[in-house]
Parts: sequence; C-alpha cells; structure tokens
Amino acid sequence: MRDVGPEQEVSRIERLEEENRSLREILENLPVMVFVKDANDRRFLGLNVAGEALLGVSRDQFVGKLAEELFPADQAATIHASDDEAVQSGRAVEVPEEPIETSRGTRWITTRKVPVLGADGLPKWLVGIVEDITERREAEEARARALQEADEATRELESFSYSVAHDLRAPLRSLDGFSQALVEDYHDLLDDEGRRYLGFIRGSAQRMAQLIDDLLSLSRVTRAELAREPVDLTALVRSAAARVEASDSGRRVEIVVEDGLACVGDPRLLAVVFDNLLNNAWKFTGKRADARIEVGAAATEEGPAFYVRDNGAGFDMAYADKLFGVFQRLHAASDFDGTGVGLATVQRIVRRHGGRAWAQGEIDRGSTFFFTLGSQEPDA
Amino acid sequence: MNHEAVILLVEDNPQDEELTLRAFRKSKILNPVVVARDGAEALDWLFAKGAHADRDASVMPHLILLDLKLPKLDGLEVLQRIRADDRTRLLPVVILTSSVEEEDRIAGYGLGANSYVRKPVDFTQFMEAVRQLGLYWLVLNEGAPVPAGGFR
Repeated sequence: MRDVGPEQEVSRIERLEEENRSLREILENLPVMVFVKDANDRRFLGLNVAGEALLGVSRDQFVGKLAEELFPADQAATIHASDDEAVQSGRAVEVPEEPIETSRGTRWITTRKVPVLGADGLPKWLVGIVEDITERREAEEARARALQEADEATRELESFSYSVAHDLRAPLRSLDGFSQALVEDYHDLLDDEGRRYLGFIRGSAQRMAQLIDDLLSLSRVTRAELAREPVDLTALVRSAAARVEASDSGRRVEIVVEDGLACVGDPRLLAVVFDNLLNNAWKFTGKRADARIEVGAAATEEGPAFYVRDNGAGFDMAYADKLFGVFQRLHAASDFDGTGVGLATVQRIVRRHGGRAWAQGEIDRGSTFFFTLGSQEPDA
Repeated sequence: MNHEAVILLVEDNPQDEELTLRAFRKSKILNPVVVARDGAEALDWLFAKGAHADRDASVMPHLILLDLKLPKLDGLEVLQRIRADDRTRLLPVVILTSSVEEEDRIAGYGLGANSYVRKPVDFTQFMEAVRQLGLYWLVLNEGAPVPAGGFR
C-alpha cells in the first residue's frame, strides 16, 4: 500500500464531502418520503423534506426515536415486522398499502425498505422509500362507490320499469273494459251524454296505456347496450317506411329514401329513430293531399348528418328547443295526437351514439329533422 | 269445438279475470274455465294436490292461460314446473300478460311457452285476442294425447 500524502488526503476528503452534499441534496428534493434508520437499534437517523411534510413532523422530533414513540402500537408492530424481514433477509421488502397516523390524520402509504450493508457485510442501515397513496386510494374508492351506486340505480330502474310494464296497465284495462261493459249491458239506462262520457274514460285509459308504452321504450333505449356496426341505412329506413305505411293504409304518402345511406351504429336503436321520425312526418302531413317525406344525407355545420324532411304542418322555430323534451308537444292533441315521447327517444338514441339531433321548420311549410352520429368506427 | 275442453286461467287480478271470462262469453267460448289465483294454486289444481287433492286428476286442461306476475310462485316458475312434470309437460301454455318486455318473452319461450300474447288495454282488442286464442287452441290446434300416467 502506498503512502497517501496530506495534500491528496485533503482533496479526497473534499471530494467525499462534495459527493455527500450532492447525495443529500438529491434526497432532500425527492418528491417521495425517504428515511434512514439504524438496522440494529431501529432508531430513525434521518428524514427528508417530503417525509416531514407527509408525517407532519420536523426531523428534530423524528430523529433518534423508535417507531413506537412516533406511531400507535399496532402500526409500530407492523413497522418492526417489515424491518425484521428486511434486516434478516438482507433484501429489499415491499410493504403494500398500510395506514399510518400523522399529525394530518391517517395517511395510506406504500413502503420499500432496503437494507444497506456495513463493512462487515451485515445490514447497518435501513433506507425506507415511502409513497403517500392516500389521494389515489380515495379516488379509487370514490370511483368504486360511484360504480356501485350506478349499478344499484340501474337495477332499481330495471325493477321500476318491470313493475310499470306489469302493474300500471291492469287498472287501465279495467277502466276501459268495464266502461265498455256499461255501454253493452246498460245501454238502455244511458243517454248519449252518458255514453259519450264513457267514451272519454276509454279514450283516456287507452291514451295512458300508450304513454306507458312510450315511456318504457324511452327507458329501454337508455338501458340497452349500444352496438356499433356498419348499417345499411337505406334498407333500414325502407323497412321503417313500410311499417308506418302498414299502420295507416288509408293514406297515400310519397316516401323517398336516398340510395346508399350507410353509417356505423346500433341497427335496432336506429330503427327506433326512424320509426319515430317517420311516424312524426306521417302524422304532421296528415292534412296534406300531396304529402311527401324525404330521407337523405347532407353536409351540415355539425358534420355529415341524416335528415327526414316533410311538407307537413311544420312548427314555429321559436319553440325548436322544446321539440326534443319529454312530454313537450307543440300541437294541440285535437290537431295531431301523440304523447310527446317520440322525439325525446330520438334525441336519447342519437346522444348515446355521440351525436346530436335538431330540427328546422316553418309553420305550414314542413319540418326537417337532422341528426349526426358520433364516432363512425365499428367495434373491434 | 270440444265443449268439454277445460281452460285453466291463471290470473290474480279479479277484474282481469272477470274481463277475460266476459271476453270468452262474448266470443261464444263456452268451455269450462278453471281459475287459479296464484301460481301455487295453479300447480295444486294441475297435480291434484292441496285444496284440489280430491279433483279428478285425469282431467287435464286443453289450454293454460298464464299470467306472469303472480303472487307466491310467478308465471315463469309455474311454467317451469309444468314443463318438468310428465303429466303436464306437453300441455299448451299461452302466456297472457301485460308486459311485452323482451326479457319476459325470451324467458317465456325459453321455458317452453307455446305462445305469448299481450293483454291489450282496449277491451275491443282484448276480446278479439281472446276470441282468436279460443279459436286457435280449442278448435284448430290438435294437442298431444294425454295417456294415463302422463306424457312420456
């Protein structure tokens, strides 16, 4: 071994001090808590700034203490257990999620404990790297809670719909049926006025049954799973047109469907959209001899859109924003019947696709209903 | 029409029961109708148990009209028991109910219902539905013969 001169000795010490300082700086400025403790007596030797912040203590209150002097007994016991494991195995130990009492309340942490060996090859220090996962954990818990609540709400909605579907119609059947029975069995005891009133009861019962059906179909639209697949819209619209024609064979309406209409979406829900839009157009052209309904695609400010145009009663654009609300109607029931649920259903389906529905119209000059569909990427 | 053919009506709502019977009468369907007011009673009658222990168990209905939402045992459970027993597994069962919820229809057919008919609110339509049911199931349709000891 060669002698080391005093000058070389001084420069070596300076270099080591510099290294030491820079290591301290790194430790101090790490955004996670770092502590060092004696591997033998388990007293804390050091704590960085992030550690002071996490625990809410100054390092003067921390250094020289044992775990049981800083934390409740049960937490101190688990700290010692993982210390033992790291010291005895001589390897790093991961401590997953554990609570720790601090002056800021309970925090949740994960810890990596690394034994540092001394010159004798035995653990001399334990270095701990501690991450505060309280916020992450709370966010995860909040998310899980929200999911569970959404699940419960869905289940509740389902059982509510089930009960509506089964129970709300029975009383209506009774109103309608026994009103008719009165007309048939007590005909002689009733005058025209009496029979007219019974007609009102039957009409109301049937109308309410229609409302229930429409609301159920609206709620089904919300609950249904959304498929995204390529859809031949021209064919879909032509079937919907055939359905509306079949429902009212007494009228002749010219229905023109553009060739080659296609999109990506849920074919069953899109059929509901066109059933509603065509029914609407059919209904509001009821007072025109030359009724015409046109279905096509157009470029709009909102992007490529599909439209259903009619030359019927139209509407006042001042009320355009009310068209798509549930139970909103712009026409007296005596002019055009309806429950005011159809366009709300359309809007809901279109929104579920990520698109938007809107309308243009003018009184007595017809209406055009437009809608876009969001992403046109099919499901993998 | 075979006027001896028994119809089993499983219906818990007394007004629906009365309307259904009225619709039969108005449609000139004069067959005997046995009414069970819940799922358990329907099975007791079919299998001659409980309150119906002393009935002639060899008489089986030509048509079962089954409501879905019933006290005690619901319609789907009743259907399941009917299909699981040799004595009743081939009997025509028509679900006659308020709901056309998809799940109900899938479950109904899945358990072996022969038909699924919605009770219309409009009595005129209700009567027409009952008339057509009677015409089809009691006149046109040929059921499976019921041998002594049940279907094998």
